[in-house]
Amino acid sequence: MSIVANKDTRVVIQGGPAGVNAARRMAEFCHLANTPLNVLAFVFPPDAGKTVDIPFGGALASVPVFKTVAEATGAFPAINTALVYIGPNRAFKGTMESLTNPAIKVVSMITEGVPEKDAKLLTLEAKKLGKTFNGPSSIGIISAGESRLGVVGGSYDNLILCKLHRPGSFGVITKSGGLSNEIMWICSQFADGVTTAIGIGGDAYPGSDYVTYLEMFENDPQTKAVVMVGEMGGDLEERAAAWYGEKKRRIKLISVVSGYCQEKLPKGMKFGHAGAKEGKHGEGSARSKADALRNAGVSVPATFGGLGPEIKKTYEDFLKDGTIKASADEEAKDLPSLPKPVEEAMKSGDVFAAPLLKSTICDDRGDEPQYVGYPASELINKGYQIPHVIGLLWDKRLVSPVEAEIIKRIVMLSADHGPCVSGALVTIIAACAGIQMSQAVAAGLIMIGPRFGGAVTGAGTWFKYGVEHKMTPEDFLAHMKKNVGPVPGIGHRVKSVSNPDKRVQELVGFVKSQGIPTPHLDFALSVEKITTAKKGTLILNVDGAMAAILVDMSFPVDALNGFFILSRTIGLIGHWVDQKRQGSRLVRLYKYLANYVTTKKREVPPLDSV
Amino acid sequence: MAKVLEGPGMGLLSKWGMAVPHYVVITEAEQLERLAEANAWLRESKLVAKAHEAIGSRMKLGLVKVGVDLKGAESAALEMLGKEISGVTISQVIISEMIDHEKEFYLAVQSTRDGAEILLASMGGIEVESNWEKVKKVSIPLGTNPTKDQLVKLAIEAGFEGGLEEKVAEFAIKLFQCYDQEDGNYLEINPLVRRNGNGELTALDAVTMVDADARFRHPDWNFSFASEFGRPYSDGEKAILEIDTRIKGSVKFIEIPGGDTALLPAGGGASVYYSDAVLAMGGTLANYAEYSGDPPDWAVEALTERVCSLKGIKRIIVGGAIANFTNVKKTFSGIIKGFRKAKAEGKMDGVQIWVRRGGPFEKEGLASMKALEKEGFDIHVYDRYTPLTDIVDYATKGVSK
Repeated sequence: MSIVANKDTRVVIQGGPAGVNAARRMAEFCHLANTPLNVLAFVFPPDAGKTVDIPFGGALASVPVFKTVAEATGAFPAINTALVYIGPNRAFKGTMESLTNPAIKVVSMITEGVPEKDAKLLTLEAKKLGKTFNGPSSIGIISAGESRLGVVGGSYDNLILCKLHRPGSFGVITKSGGLSNEIMWICSQFADGVTTAIGIGGDAYPGSDYVTYLEMFENDPQTKAVVMVGEMGGDLEERAAAWYGEKKRRIKLISVVSGYCQEKLPKGMKFGHAGAKEGKHGEGSARSKADALRNAGVSVPATFGGLGPEIKKTYEDFLKDGTIKASADEEAKDLPSLPKPVEEAMKSGDVFAAPLLKSTICDDRGDEPQYVGYPASELINKGYQIPHVIGLLWDKRLVSPVEAEIIKRIVMLSADHGPCVSGALVTIIAACAGIQMSQAVAAGLIMIGPRFGGAVTGAGTWFKYGVEHKMTPEDFLAHMKKNVGPVPGIGHRVKSVSNPDKRVQELVGFVKSQGIPTPHLDFALSVEKITTAKKGTLILNVDGAMAAILVDMSFPVDALNGFFILSRTIGLIGHWVDQKRQGSRLVRLYKYLANYVTTKKREVPPLDSV
Repeated sequence: MAKVLEGPGMGLLSKWGMAVPHYVVITEAEQLERLAEANAWLRESKLVAKAHEAIGSRMKLGLVKVGVDLKGAESAALEMLGKEISGVTISQVIISEMIDHEKEFYLAVQSTRDGAEILLASMGGIEVESNWEKVKKVSIPLGTNPTKDQLVKLAIEAGFEGGLEEKVAEFAIKLFQCYDQEDGNYLEINPLVRRNGNGELTALDAVTMVDADARFRHPDWNFSFASEFGRPYSDGEKAILEIDTRIKGSVKFIEIPGGDTALLPAGGGASVYYSDAVLAMGGTLANYAEYSGDPPDWAVEALTERVCSLKGIKRIIVGGAIANFTNVKKTFSGIIKGFRKAKAEGKMDGVQIWVRRGGPFEKEGLASMKALEKEGFDIHVYDRYTPLTDIVDYATKGVSK
């Protein structure tokens, strides 16, 4: 047995992410207590019509989101309880909505920082309607083994430690969320655990006070004693004392009160709870509350530390006089465990998952990415440059200063080649058609292939083949002609011996001046000598020169096209931005630039004659 | 509940049609001369100059000057501004018009569980405290307004007569409106006076407490709230207050100079039990602090730095109950960062740290605290199996369990 929340409690949660988080915790409890999920619906207008997936045991429960409480209770007539997780500025309206809904009997308000006037008006409305209004600032309500409303009770491990999967004999009422959990822990350590624990919230005017719940506990035969955690300020403890002292009560009441420190601290100081404040004339002091409770026959240990022994003694007395019969507890290991997310289970070594992919260059599992083991920030701070990052990510090594300089020059020289080449042209046309940057640049990159910029890998592959097989340039050309076709990296559309490619001259000149071994570049140049003798345009083009140089630097041939793609991306982005800034309009080819070589106009034959 | 200083408090009364003395709030004495050019009352009336700060017993401290002229007010302001009173610098002075009057009255509205109470007495000033039984009350149930008849009756009961009961009732209705519409907690006018000459009722001095949580629906509340414990907030307290307003969860911090035990506990409820425990063990508190509602670790770190900077502390109590949803590991990582910073600044020499906590990720959080031993901290860590406030006993006695 229990109060407020029980096996039949079905909940609508009002509010966004905080409400969803609470639903997850509530589902964990339902899993432990082996009950159906008690959350049936959310009310959160921005997400109305969607569903929220709540992990429930090993599966996901889909909980629908509605625009109004009425829609939720209409769709789920079993709903009888609302939890309010709405921000303080809209909480009044939302709480009024659930309070006035005829299906809903209990409203617990978790929202903190609700104006007092709003809380008082809601309390008045609830009283008129004969409903239970709990909070604001409530941590929640939990009935062991039956139902959990909110995050009260904490983590799954704690639910088990506090034996919340089955009812005990102690009721708990606190203002503080942390202390409600603490008392449940004490009750499970020193006694047989709790029936229901309620956080009434630390505000000055809680919707339901101690007396409301003491009255309910008195009528719950399972509850034999109630632990009430009070604090200075207001008169709720005095009211509880008056209630307890009024006549013989079935339940035993144990209570502590905090705030003796106020006697020695500056008057008017604010503590953590809004309600924890003595009156102007010292009303509601901890001492006067404790005295009132003691006078009413309540057990009031002098300090919080005295609670454990008092609860233990009470429990032992109950066992002795037969109020409670001792029963063996099931072992924690017999309780269902909470299925862990794969990531957590792997961390604790409970599970092995075969990875789907393997990465050997970059690890992002720490604070920052590591490029082949080197933290990116350290590379930056030690003066490394983009060529070093390219070397690490493309060839898993730190390139030498000369190599870095060569890479830098390659990138700079191939960054762009004007608007007319196929890559830039396509990007520009796309930009003019209003296409976004990533797509427009990607369209330009698609042009990179055997005839435009994409011959670097091919050239590198074959120059490497020639050198590896110690071929003479003549043998190489013969081999290529027979087995492959035109030599990649040789030949240019407009450049020739008499009109040399300045970029190639520059690059080759620099590399040769560095005094480093360049077998592939030398081989390529010797091949060029023969081909240009045959035809002036069969020069070593920029792709070929880059390829030979990069193979000399031992870059893997598979990476070679990357140098052109990377470099030219700089130019393509430039062209896109350029068009965008100009506000360029859609372009279309002038008709005179198309050579129409089509069939003359003729009559279309009837369809069935074809 | 939040206190509003005199200036803005008077502004609220005036907004709801109650007569208040003319006043100006200044931060520099020179401002007064230019204000006097624009405001005849500053030149023509007798004036009162008061330090506009949340300092108790201002009269005794010489922070109130009554019956001065403009020159006198200016020199009083000059004297008060920049003055240090128990570690706090006076930065504002309020100059108000002295109202010629004979009788003083008392009028207040206070929030109660079931609505509000209007309190009225035909005497005012310090006389009220000693004649509390002469203060007459009427309860106004929640959601209703007082009627004029009801308040006239109250006024007659309180001893008003000769037509004054009508005026007082009208004034009380306005005060109630102000209370109701401005989310008041407690509005007290003492004294309420009858001006010589036109006989107009005027609020000479007021205590204004409003509901800080209602700020969102009062865009014209352009004031910040004042402390309520007899001294203005220190810079450290202001810094934490400011953080508190912009985070999820909360951090709270009040300094109590001279204490030997610093508090850094979690939870609005548990923190008060820790405060009690320290005093019960004969210790002295150096502060009150609290963090709750799973605040971000940087906020807890900032709070920790403030706690570690308290002068003369011998021990820090990092207590806490078993959290429901505050991530112990995460919040502790903030505390640990704060501790390390303080240690690097030499603030942890001779300071013991006593820890007790439970909640989500308690094992990880407690282990990382425990690991501070290796960094040379004098730290003692306990888990949920040690009762909540037992660490205070150990800490005070300086012995571990």
